[in-house]
Amino acid sequence: MSKVIEQPRYSCALGAQQTVVAIKRAVPVLHSGPGCCNKITSLIGQGESYAGGSTIPCTNSNERDVVFGGVEKLRSVVNGALQVVDADLYVILTGCTASIVGDDIDSVAQEFRDAGKPVVCAETGGFKTNNYRSHEVVVNSVIDQYVDAHRAEGGVQKRLVNVFATVPYQDPYWNGNLAEIKRVLEGIGLKVNILFGQESEGLPEWKTIPNAEFNIVASSWVGLGIAKHLKQKYGTPYFHFPYLPVGGVETSRFLRQTAEFAGLDKNRVEAFIDSEEKKFYSFLERMADFLLEFRYGLPRRFYSILDASYAIGFAKYLVNELGVVPARQFIVDDTPEEFRGEIRGEFAHLTERRSVSVEFETDGGIIQQRIRQDENKTRALILGSGWDRDLAKDLNADLLILGVPVEYRLILNCGYAGYRGGLRVIEDIYDRVLDTYR
Amino acid sequence: MVINLGTPVVESREQRLGTVIAWDGSASRLVKESCYSENGTACCGCRLCERENRGPFTQGASCSEMMVECQAGHVRDAVLIQHSPIGCGASQVTYNSKFRNALKMRGLPVKNMRVVSTNLDENDMVFGGIDKLENTIVETWERYQPKAIFIGTSCSTGIIGDDVDSVSEEYSQKLGIPVIPLHCEGFKSKHWSTGFDATQHGILRQIVRHGHEKQEDLVNVINLWGSDVFRPMLAELGLRVNYVVDLATVSDLAQMSEAAATVGFCNTLSSYLATALEQEFGVPQVKAPQPYGFAGTDAWLRELGRVTHRETKVETYIEKEHRRVKPLVEELRARLSGVKGYVATGSAYSHGLIAVLRELGIRVDGSLVFHHDPVYDSGDPKQDSLAYLVENYGDVAHFSVSNRQQYQFYGLLKRVNPDFILIRHNGLAPLAARMGIPAAPLGDEHLAVGYQGMVNLGESIRDILAHKKFHRDLAEHVTLPYKKSWLESDPYSLSIQTSAAGEA
Repeated sequence: MSKVIEQPRYSCALGAQQTVVAIKRAVPVLHSGPGCCNKITSLIGQGESYAGGSTIPCTNSNERDVVFGGVEKLRSVVNGALQVVDADLYVILTGCTASIVGDDIDSVAQEFRDAGKPVVCAETGGFKTNNYRSHEVVVNSVIDQYVDAHRAEGGVQKRLVNVFATVPYQDPYWNGNLAEIKRVLEGIGLKVNILFGQESEGLPEWKTIPNAEFNIVASSWVGLGIAKHLKQKYGTPYFHFPYLPVGGVETSRFLRQTAEFAGLDKNRVEAFIDSEEKKFYSFLERMADFLLEFRYGLPRRFYSILDASYAIGFAKYLVNELGVVPARQFIVDDTPEEFRGEIRGEFAHLTERRSVSVEFETDGGIIQQRIRQDENKTRALILGSGWDRDLAKDLNADLLILGVPVEYRLILNCGYAGYRGGLRVIEDIYDRVLDTYR
Repeated sequence: MVINLGTPVVESREQRLGTVIAWDGSASRLVKESCYSENGTACCGCRLCERENRGPFTQGASCSEMMVECQAGHVRDAVLIQHSPIGCGASQVTYNSKFRNALKMRGLPVKNMRVVSTNLDENDMVFGGIDKLENTIVETWERYQPKAIFIGTSCSTGIIGDDVDSVSEEYSQKLGIPVIPLHCEGFKSKHWSTGFDATQHGILRQIVRHGHEKQEDLVNVINLWGSDVFRPMLAELGLRVNYVVDLATVSDLAQMSEAAATVGFCNTLSSYLATALEQEFGVPQVKAPQPYGFAGTDAWLRELGRVTHRETKVETYIEKEHRRVKPLVEELRARLSGVKGYVATGSAYSHGLIAVLRELGIRVDGSLVFHHDPVYDSGDPKQDSLAYLVENYGDVAHFSVSNRQQYQFYGLLKRVNPDFILIRHNGLAPLAARMGIPAAPLGDEHLAVGYQGMVNLGESIRDILAHKKFHRDLAEHVTLPYKKSWLESDPYSLSIQTSAAGEA
């Protein structure tokens, strides 16, 4: 039985409206109660983007729709959306009301498609699951109901890959992260469908999803459901890298493993890695005097209150490259049981010498209680969210906000993945430390 | 009209007041069609209601549950349980931020709001969520021992029919604190402001105490998170302020019945609670225009003085403040006259803001309100705030009602081409910004209240106008998410069908 949650760090299934908002010129059409889209936006949507937030068409279910069914109203709102909102793809998503009542949204979407309109749908009634998992449901629905019918000509393209690396908006740094992942993969000679955000070409890119030579899942578990679906549907193989690669060591590892999977030219790959590592480490080298002199001020231990991908990615970077020691590690994405073993394994072998146990916990109330009970003898770094601000203050700890709600940060193109992201991590940790100096 | 506290479920705004969420015309026509004084009682088939016929297109708005969250969730020593899937908890982020900043503004210790979600899943939709609700109540009690527990329902629990009332009653007895069901399913009312009423209904039924002695110098001020403008103002009259509902403690709420009067700064927010306190507990509601501009503030203070027997003090205060503020307002008028403003806020609040803008010599040809109540719960014409605006400050040519439908906003702004807009509630500001129009987000809703409010608002507007450059640059670089053909259409062509079409 799922348990109570204080201080939510993810949304319900309908939170996948943000997956749609992150696709260029796509708009969600909610078949839900009147408050849903704005609620969701307040947790996982800093900025409306092109057609999110208050732009989102919604049936605003009322009592009549609940008693007599809301299909008619949905039809009318989709029609309205086609007239009013300037988009290339309309994605119907259900909320609790329509999902409990059992409105037949598939038929509605099909009617529109039969009339040549780009309308697809997915069941995302809030109670069904959280937005990590429904991200996969929505992506797969777009693939099945839109991409498949519009797939680009020409069959499999050598070196073309689809990347499923992070959940847009649930990962507040998604745009920056995806941009860096695309950059480094192109650096080793791949052509990348990044699919979401600034660096994506939008729907024309989605239409080439079936043409990829292989898929990359750079995430601990979210995205595997998409890769498996694509394998079944188009026979596309996939490579799984089970966390967010952050910093020099892990990004190089990510690139080498990808290259090996793809059978890329080793010389080219190593040349790129070499030039990136040179840049990455040159910054650290140039700052060595400062970093070392300053060393007494760096946090000694870090707590994680993160989703699995971030938690593993950051733990590897902080422990292996920066020498910060892991304290309690909380995974807050409600990881499905089947993936927990592998995540525990990653932490058990963080380094040759160090093993850390993780706690899967979604209730912020309990997490903060446990952290407060810890002996707090040395300065700590908390990798968490806006909810943890008072906790950090009470413990005299530094807080780096990596998860939602971000509340106290404005995020434009910042990302923590890759080589560039690794440097940014150091800047931001020091930023917090230096800020405490008189 | 009579408020019924006998049942746990509040009667919705549309049932009580005939609330409308889509209407377009002049303010004077809306006054006429509302038939406030003839009507006086709930929706009775007046022309206004007949005319409204929700058209084929809508965008997401807000819901009653969110208003419960931002009232019940902000009682300082209570806990709110959201009996819902976790997504309903997403808005905690917005309200937590408001809560924290409000605490800071009032000089109270800053902390996170306490909300616990029952986190319902698919199983619960089939078998019911009552077990989880009970667990959550127990868990909440063990963690925090609050002075009261509010339980907000959700669309899903409303549909599956969880008996929240019985559980609440059971645990009220077991725990010896009020455990209060608040029925606020988003789909049950066409306007979110029913959520205010739902919270107030629960507080009136289970927290406000009976039979204590009156406190003759205590005044209930129904507000949200605004800065502390009422305490100094009422202190001049020898009155103490009891701020409710937001940032109050449970005992502040309990003593509402002992006050000498109840006032508000916005009829939309205070209508239900103030009327019920008078009806059930004999606490007089100050029935007067809202406290905005010279005329409104004068009348509001005089009525408060009359009810609390402080007539002389009130006159002294009015005279003193007029003397102090008039020259300041004159100075602002000289700088602002001819500037065009637009107001997009909650219903009765806009009536007040427009008055202030006009005191400052600002031209207001248009306003958008998120709903309209043809009448307030008291039924007293002295609270007909829209009529008061029109009579004292003149008509507003384009007075539109829309439950925050952003797609209409472009067309509405184009009608009047304002230099700036005043906005309360997000959602519309982004569009205005993309059109190059600076918006003041009115973070402190008390900013414009009373005499000093005219000065405050005038100064804020000067600040906003200074940001014009940023907005102009932005407008040059953005693409609006709306089709060109739509932007050139009548903004109400997809919202209100004419009566003829409605009947067809």
